[in-house]
Amino acid sequence: MIMKQFRYEPLAQASYLLACPRAKEAIVVDPIDNLGAEFYVLEAADLGLAITAVLETHVHADYISCARELAEMNGVPHYLNEKAKGLVQYEFTPFADGHVFEVGGVRIEAMHTPGHTPEHTSYLVTDTARSDDPWFVLTGDSLFVGDVGRPDLLIGDQALDVMGEEDRAATLYRSVTEKLFALPDFVEVYPNHYGGSTCGGVNMSGKAGSTIAFEKKFNLAMRQPTAEDFARFVKETSKPFPDDYQRIKSYNLGLISKEEVQGASA
Amino acid sequence: MIPQEVQAAVAEGAVVLDMRPPKPFTKEHVGGGVNIQFNRADLAERAEMSLPMDARYIVHAEPDPIAKVAVKILQDAGFTVLGHLEGGLKAWKAAGLPTAELPLIDVDHLKAKIDDYKVIDTRERFEFKYGHIPGSDVVEWTEPWEKFEAVDDSKPLALVCGDQVRSSYVASIMQRAGKNASLVFGGMVDWTERGYPLEKTKK
Amino acid sequence: MAEVQETKVLDARGLLCPMPVVKTNKEMKSMAAGEILKVLATDRGSIVDFPAWAEDTGNELIEWHEEGEGVMVFYLRKVEEED
Repeated sequence: MIMKQFRYEPLAQASYLLACPRAKEAIVVDPIDNLGAEFYVLEAADLGLAITAVLETHVHADYISCARELAEMNGVPHYLNEKAKGLVQYEFTPFADGHVFEVGGVRIEAMHTPGHTPEHTSYLVTDTARSDDPWFVLTGDSLFVGDVGRPDLLIGDQALDVMGEEDRAATLYRSVTEKLFALPDFVEVYPNHYGGSTCGGVNMSGKAGSTIAFEKKFNLAMRQPTAEDFARFVKETSKPFPDDYQRIKSYNLGLISKEEVQGASA
Repeated sequence: MIPQEVQAAVAEGAVVLDMRPPKPFTKEHVGGGVNIQFNRADLAERAEMSLPMDARYIVHAEPDPIAKVAVKILQDAGFTVLGHLEGGLKAWKAAGLPTAELPLIDVDHLKAKIDDYKVIDTRERFEFKYGHIPGSDVVEWTEPWEKFEAVDDSKPLALVCGDQVRSSYVASIMQRAGKNASLVFGGMVDWTERGYPLEKTKK
Repeated sequence: MAEVQETKVLDARGLLCPMPVVKTNKEMKSMAAGEILKVLATDRGSIVDFPAWAEDTGNELIEWHEEGEGVMVFYLRKVEEED
């Protein structure tokens, strides 16, 4: 399979293109508007690939997503976990926990890993041409290299936030320990952020890839003995809020227009 | 350019360049379209090696942003490009304009029915010399279009190259000229991997 | 398999048939006899292109193999040109 990680350094954001070279089909995960829909379309075309779907791990708060544009441009579905229904104001294609996407020989299994947000989903990827064992997991903003996603990016509307900060921290702890850390040790970890991103804490590594085993051993947040210790640790090691996160989140939820979100941000 | 404008230009001799990969092209394409696959890395060089300089072209690529980039690449390389087909194949069909299909076969089918076809190898002469399908003829993909249009198709033609990119280009030009041409997907790589017979050219 | 130490690397990934061989030919012209060129290519046609090119130019295709992600690696040795 083809796995390309695109890094947008100013926001320390990573998006992904996963493809089957035989089927000549590709999917894009978490495309960022700062690179733009055209960027992804050209990357796929350079390799003779047709984009068949656009996936997001969650509704982002620290960057403007171009998933809608990219999906529309290619006439393909924009996928979000069904838990985003009622939160997101535009049409998208929902899927349930455990849903399997197939891109030629590439198998992508949706794992609902809430906490950072209520709908947050990680994607477990298997290259069936290589083996039946999973190869890597796209962890979005749940598990980072050396850190975890922050549970405090709320926009102040209970109906849209769904879970409060305490609830999110407790849920995230469970998502990582019970779901991600239950994966085989050799499974690689590729997150949506790294380094200086404000979506996680001060311990986030600048390296945008790891393994489940490495994180089990060295991730300081996850090495906290209890869920309460974890929540406290995450709060104590948090960074300043991402710039403009409430407005960006509102745009990504479909509450405001592109002009409104781009208007005031520097 | 909207479909009707493209059609009008085609009626005056413009050529539609379909820049999608061979598979979707063979399934359905703008009638008379010539297949030359897009990429940014070497489109200009491949075009310079093969496309007639004096023709007027219209790009069909999907989605639209690809077409715009392709138009610029070709214009920068010195080609006359009138524009691109806005809305792609969907818009073309919605306007009720004609599409065509290019027959697609694989090497197993070709091997089984080899006597029904005249195989045309579109690779470079040295590639053909090294190993080709017995009974096939070489017509290099860089030849002028008149050469493709003059190939005798009293027997249905089967086009091959290394995989299928160059052969799809030649097959589409032959189809434009009304020839009975099929594209062999997988080409000489698949043929060789299957262990099917190869002939070397004697010096 | 013995490790082949290349003198130079040509990245022809993303290039379409027959450009990997065209670029290789150009690159080889500026190399000295005995030097080894490692070529990375994603175009599947390269599998038959490179052996043919090697025979045609008298250079040596030492070996080739597929790495992951549809990338093929070719090791080519420049052979002394006969005048």
